[in-house]
Amino acid sequence: MPKATLSARRVARLVGRDLPRHELEELLFASKSQVEGGEGDALEVEGTADRLDLLTESGIALHLQGVLGVATGLPAAPAARHGEVVAEVDASVSPLRPHLAGVVVTPPEGAAVDADLLDEAIRFQELLHGTIGLDRRLSSLGIYPLERIRPPIRYALEPLGQVRFVPLDGVDETSAEAFFAGHRLALAYGSLGRSLAGCLTLRDATGAVLSLPPVLNGRTKGEARPGDGALLLEATGTRQSRVLDALALLTLLFAARGWGATPITVRTPDGAPGPSAIAPRRLHLPSATLTALSGESLASGEVETLLERARFSVRAEARGWRIEAAPWRVDLHGPVDVAEDLLIARGLRAETGLLPPAATRGARSDADRFRARVSSLLLGLGFTPLYTTVLVSERLVVATGRDRALALTNPVSEQFARLRDSLVVALAAALEHNVRHGYPQRLSEVGPVVVPSTAAESGGETRYHAGLVLAEERAGFATGAALVDYLMRTLGAVGVREPASLPGTIPGRAAVVRLAGVTVGEVGELAPALLEELSVPVPAVWAEVDLTALELLLAPVRAAATAVPRS
Amino acid sequence: MTDGGAEPSDGTLELQLSEPERRVVRTLQGVEDALVEEGELADRLGLPLEAVRGSLQRLRSKQLAVVEEETREHRRLTPRGDEALANGLPERRLLEALRSAEGHAVPPEAFPALGLEGEERSAAIGILRRRGWLAEGVPFRLRAPPAADAVLPEETALRAVAEGTEVDATTFQALRRRGLVAVDHRSTKRWALSEQGAQLVVPTDERPLLGPLTPELLRTGAWHDAAFRPYDVRAAVPFVTGARPHPYLAWVREFEEILLGLGFLEAEGPLLETEFWNADALYMPQEHPARSIHDVLTVRGVTGRGPDRDLLERVAAVHEGRPLPGEPEPVGAGWRYPYDRSVAARPVLRSQTTAVSARFLAGRPTPPFRMFCLDRNFRYDPVDPTHHVEFGQCEGVLGGEGITIRHLIGVFRAVAEAIGIHELRLRPSYFPFTEPSVEGYVRHPRLGWIEVFPGGMFRPEVLRPLGVEVPVAAWGIGVTRLAMVALGLSDIRDLYDDDLAHLTGREG
Repeated sequence: MPKATLSARRVARLVGRDLPRHELEELLFASKSQVEGGEGDALEVEGTADRLDLLTESGIALHLQGVLGVATGLPAAPAARHGEVVAEVDASVSPLRPHLAGVVVTPPEGAAVDADLLDEAIRFQELLHGTIGLDRRLSSLGIYPLERIRPPIRYALEPLGQVRFVPLDGVDETSAEAFFAGHRLALAYGSLGRSLAGCLTLRDATGAVLSLPPVLNGRTKGEARPGDGALLLEATGTRQSRVLDALALLTLLFAARGWGATPITVRTPDGAPGPSAIAPRRLHLPSATLTALSGESLASGEVETLLERARFSVRAEARGWRIEAAPWRVDLHGPVDVAEDLLIARGLRAETGLLPPAATRGARSDADRFRARVSSLLLGLGFTPLYTTVLVSERLVVATGRDRALALTNPVSEQFARLRDSLVVALAAALEHNVRHGYPQRLSEVGPVVVPSTAAESGGETRYHAGLVLAEERAGFATGAALVDYLMRTLGAVGVREPASLPGTIPGRAAVVRLAGVTVGEVGELAPALLEELSVPVPAVWAEVDLTALELLLAPVRAAATAVPRS
Repeated sequence: MTDGGAEPSDGTLELQLSEPERRVVRTLQGVEDALVEEGELADRLGLPLEAVRGSLQRLRSKQLAVVEEETREHRRLTPRGDEALANGLPERRLLEALRSAEGHAVPPEAFPALGLEGEERSAAIGILRRRGWLAEGVPFRLRAPPAADAVLPEETALRAVAEGTEVDATTFQALRRRGLVAVDHRSTKRWALSEQGAQLVVPTDERPLLGPLTPELLRTGAWHDAAFRPYDVRAAVPFVTGARPHPYLAWVREFEEILLGLGFLEAEGPLLETEFWNADALYMPQEHPARSIHDVLTVRGVTGRGPDRDLLERVAAVHEGRPLPGEPEPVGAGWRYPYDRSVAARPVLRSQTTAVSARFLAGRPTPPFRMFCLDRNFRYDPVDPTHHVEFGQCEGVLGGEGITIRHLIGVFRAVAEAIGIHELRLRPSYFPFTEPSVEGYVRHPRLGWIEVFPGGMFRPEVLRPLGVEVPVAAWGIGVTRLAMVALGLSDIRDLYDDDLAHLTGREG
């Protein structure tokens, strides 16, 4: 989950009242943000992915104002005190990064951006890049001092050779070629903002480079500093929804401090006006939805009070309420999201729990019951049950000859690189791990394997097997076969053994077990080469039964045996 | 079974004594206020000394006998001392040789014939000279010999040592320096009965006591004329190990019993899933970070296929924020991105059992319904004590008219109570597929508040495309963590431990 380090002091100042730390922690526990640590003024918070606004001092303050009754309803959103700012989007950006949006924010009369706000804005900008921006791929943000920019702004893809600028963290002017070849941010994100011969630029009317989206601002006109007044917040990206969401969330920091905000005018190549990032979100909350989710029929007045505490504006209408939410509430997809906010404002309490009204009958799956029966039989035979991973090591797959086992594209390690298609891999690993314990050893596992199958939707079928291995001085094929016979006989089946060549076994001492023409089992003496690889000093016999196949074959027999006569 | 015993026992103690032990007790009970030496006891009983010692030790271990050990100094002749006693001390042999020699003089060449060489020769000459009996010079001559019947003090002392009588200390030390006598320390054990032993009533049954019952005894019927020696049932016995249920699997079945008792049906699903069921059907946007290759494991060599076209289009519609086919209004605002239908078919290792819920709901179960699935999932997580590439999750759904978030909380409470935890508190949470979403914390007596119950109400964006028209509550409990707490494990890897020493209880 995303995290941020904030200032408890600044949160309290924005809320407008003192907030002892323990109270702050309790209040946040009941929200979608939670204090995870931090000492003194530092507040390390972890939030849910849908409420990134609660990873800012501003967002938390707006939320707590509502909870504490300091301020309720939709946060005020004055318009920016500034003339229209136009941004022109050139058609050349379309293949690479087509979307642009912007907002002008202006401070209250006599105020300016301070170091705290700028610091929080830059940190939040990076958080948004890494979350909804998907590492800047879907959207990225820029902050500019509007007073040093001359609109209109132009967003275009330009030949690399025409672009020179002073990077935000540099002092000398550099060429775009040199920047993309060597700057650390260009190496990380450069591919998102350049084609073979060109790169994305944002320039003002003087031709000065404001930034090379989505990599870095220029220093000359792209560096916001404490003391600046109006700012231009800009976002570019490949996904318009993410561009608008990121911009709305960044605007939150300024709106919470009483700054005015106005969208810039975006002129797109096709002439369509760009949508606004800071329009209030309007939703309808049907009373039926609220009742269905909460399990209670709440009075209209209580609903309105709670929704206003959740920082919505509310208006009752037929069969529900009309809601307006702040533009940065990008998590609101529909009525259920509004209802959740109401429940949070009301407080989630364990005491409200009810047992479900209608009785249903619980039951294990048939397959599970069948497996449990086999597990009991193996335990009765003295086989120690194992619970091992389905992901197995490349080395043991090779050693046991189970080449059919599917390989992972992105394994975390060699130890978990393949999906076992047979339990013999797990049993071999267990033999290897237990060589110091002496013999005889009887090991078993009833568990899943995954076998490639074109019939399966995913290309691999999950089947359940029962596997056993017996390692002792006199272990041999006959013992393994006898054990399989016993298991099948007890389950109501009599299989037929047929000679087979099975990987990892001694040629001529292995068989498949068939029932009604279907292979339901395998048994064989483990090959000495495998035992040598495992450092096992005694013979071992392995057997495995495909319980999924066996259960399927036996199901009609069981059904007939348990059917209740009708007359 | 062992027939030995090291523990004091109850009123049957007298029955646990072997026949030799009983005889020792009876004999010692006849000796009043006195300690008896082992050898003496062996003589009285007519038993070998070693047998008596063994019986005495066993009686002592049963706290029926006490022993007093005394260490004494024992003076004895050395082999040279024995020889001197038999053939005379060297000074005596020299004296007698001088007496009988012509002129009472003996040349040095004659000493070997007298058996006087080396140290003994020097000692003999020195003693006779110190006594003034031998003149200075060579050959050696008598000057003022003692009377013919005079006995030397060394001779007296040597005989006294041989006879075990008192001996002059100075003379003894002189003989010891000459290697004629030595000192040993000998311990003597003297036994008596303890208070408990003295009061013990030893049966007078003289029938032989039998040890293990053998087939031979049964066949011959010899046991009819014998008594069975009782065993000390508190004595240590061999440490037995064997196959027993796997601790994690046993815990899982117990946990499942709770849900079965609450009316939940068990369901299963494939471990290798498609992205459609693992995420798309659950309204997780295709660019969701939890769907990246750094979170989800993928396989090579196989290709999957998407669901039927109708279902795929319905899911695509909610992702894009469009109305479902044939409906005027969208279900919700959607994720506002172009849904990629080819992604739906990609195989992935299941990262959440919620995929099983999606499949279950797509089967349009008849309401009311309750389902659970406790199974493995996989994630791209390097393995360490707190992370593993495989993890267990218990998914559950609860659907029907009138099902609300309160019923979800009710199930949390019921499950918490069933595992013995009575304090539950809730906080808001987030999952792409549920709204409202909650996280249930329980207070563990040792670990404090721990997250156990994540859940929520399935979003309409999940239910409507699947054709489910009733509200459905859902949860996905991280059972791996819960099991670790219950089993007292601190390393997640121990859940997959295949060490026989642990699994069979060889380590106790």
